[in-house]
Amino acid sequence: MGSIEFSGVGKVFGQAGGGTKALEDINLTIGEKEFVAIVGPSGCGKTTCLRMVAGFELPSSGVVSVSGRPVTSPGPDRAVVFQQFALFPWKTVRENIDLGLRNKNLPKGERDKLIHGALQLMNLESHADAFPHQLSGGMQQRVAIARAYVLDPDVLLMDEPFGALDAQTRVVMQEELVRLARVNPRTVLFITHAVEEAVYLADRVAIMTRRPGRIKEILDVRSVRLRENWDRFQNIEDVMDLESFVSIRTHIWKSLREEKGPQGI
Amino acid sequence: MIGRRGCIGLGTIAALLALWFVLTTVTGAVSGGRFPSPADFWVSLQQIFTRGYAGERLASHALHSVKLVAMGFIVAVATGVPLGLWMGWSRRAEAAVNPVFLIVRPIPPLAWIPLAILWLGLGDAAKIMVIWFAAFVPSVINAFTGVRNIDRPLLEAALMLGTPRWRMVREVIVPAALPMIFTGLRLSLQASWTTLVAAELVGALVGVGFVLNMAQQDIYPGMILVGMVTVGILGWATTLLLASVESRALAWNTAARD
Repeated sequence: MGSIEFSGVGKVFGQAGGGTKALEDINLTIGEKEFVAIVGPSGCGKTTCLRMVAGFELPSSGVVSVSGRPVTSPGPDRAVVFQQFALFPWKTVRENIDLGLRNKNLPKGERDKLIHGALQLMNLESHADAFPHQLSGGMQQRVAIARAYVLDPDVLLMDEPFGALDAQTRVVMQEELVRLARVNPRTVLFITHAVEEAVYLADRVAIMTRRPGRIKEILDVRSVRLRENWDRFQNIEDVMDLESFVSIRTHIWKSLREEKGPQGI
Repeated sequence: MIGRRGCIGLGTIAALLALWFVLTTVTGAVSGGRFPSPADFWVSLQQIFTRGYAGERLASHALHSVKLVAMGFIVAVATGVPLGLWMGWSRRAEAAVNPVFLIVRPIPPLAWIPLAILWLGLGDAAKIMVIWFAAFVPSVINAFTGVRNIDRPLLEAALMLGTPRWRMVREVIVPAALPMIFTGLRLSLQASWTTLVAAELVGALVGVGFVLNMAQQDIYPGMILVGMVTVGILGWATTLLLASVESRALAWNTAARD
């Protein structure tokens, strides 16, 4: 339960023949409860990878499977956290979290218990009856994460979830996600273009080439993190100062720079 | 309660009324045969209130017109909004209906009046039919646009949560399209009044448009103005009613705009 596998996955957008090749021969296996981040230059197709796991897009070639079954359509076993939150503005925080549970036909009492737990997990208890627009961006993204977590999904798909947040909020959310991931590990596919974020959060970081995107390199961050005991620090800036962190980060940066055009853009 | 902007608006209306009084009564620049003075207006208003005009008192004329507008509007909305939603959701439905729409739409609703009278006579049914045709189009188009403009991630979020089809329509698509749907309803309501008055001008035995028609034949400027003011007030009141329904239904949205 909860593994993700890309085998020989390609994606072409537009007409067959005249289309744009977005992805080429992607091979990647994400193990159960593993946190994998994909970084890459913009337009490299990293979001498309996530959308194929979610079932919003189908691969043009190859197979994307979750827990051994090929993905054919979206479903609550693969919860998505979107960059723009995608909360229902006419539903309160509680109703937003409740929708997925109602779709599972759970009895009211059980739903209430699960919602309460999710609200507690994301520090949202006092905002249960607020509408999304009454909350800050960071709070809205907490609701979206709670809405995903409460489904108890096999895999959690996060598409640049902190990209729309300001720098301070972003740091707080990253620290919280680390805490969440250590306490309650999940299979996570995390898309980002922020290198530090990827190194800080992930067990492994996959680096993509520019379009048509391929996986260029996969780095094992977890073994370094365990060896150097990064988790002894509460704050992200302390981890980011460690030599072991800096060397991985610099390696990824160099690798990404090679992917940019001669103009460096 | 009224506020600064309300005060300015009331000021404008008071100034226009004063101007009316000055031009018609004080200086006599506008003769009573062209435009009634406030006194003429008052006499006509008293007449239609107490003794009646064109067969009925004002309340009966007004009530009849409101009834027809309400019926035509409701039929138009009840058919137009679902069709628009369906066309917005299904490319196939759009492909099937759109060609018909493109041909029928440029026909002004008033051009249906002769046919409606031919089919259904001078009674209420013909007028409801014409109002239906007129009010139908804005309802369809705006519901359609409302669905097409829904943020894609919102639909994807609902799919990802495993939302079944009907719950999707009720709890995601309709609420997301609702601001646009209400824009359509406002336009439909406007179209309903325009069309009703025109239809009653052409052929009717009761109603505000009929009052206008009779007053014109009687060369009775005071009563013409009474008819016009009545239409204005009724249109304004029904618009206000719709706006209050809208602000209640879209509480989440108006709050978001603040």
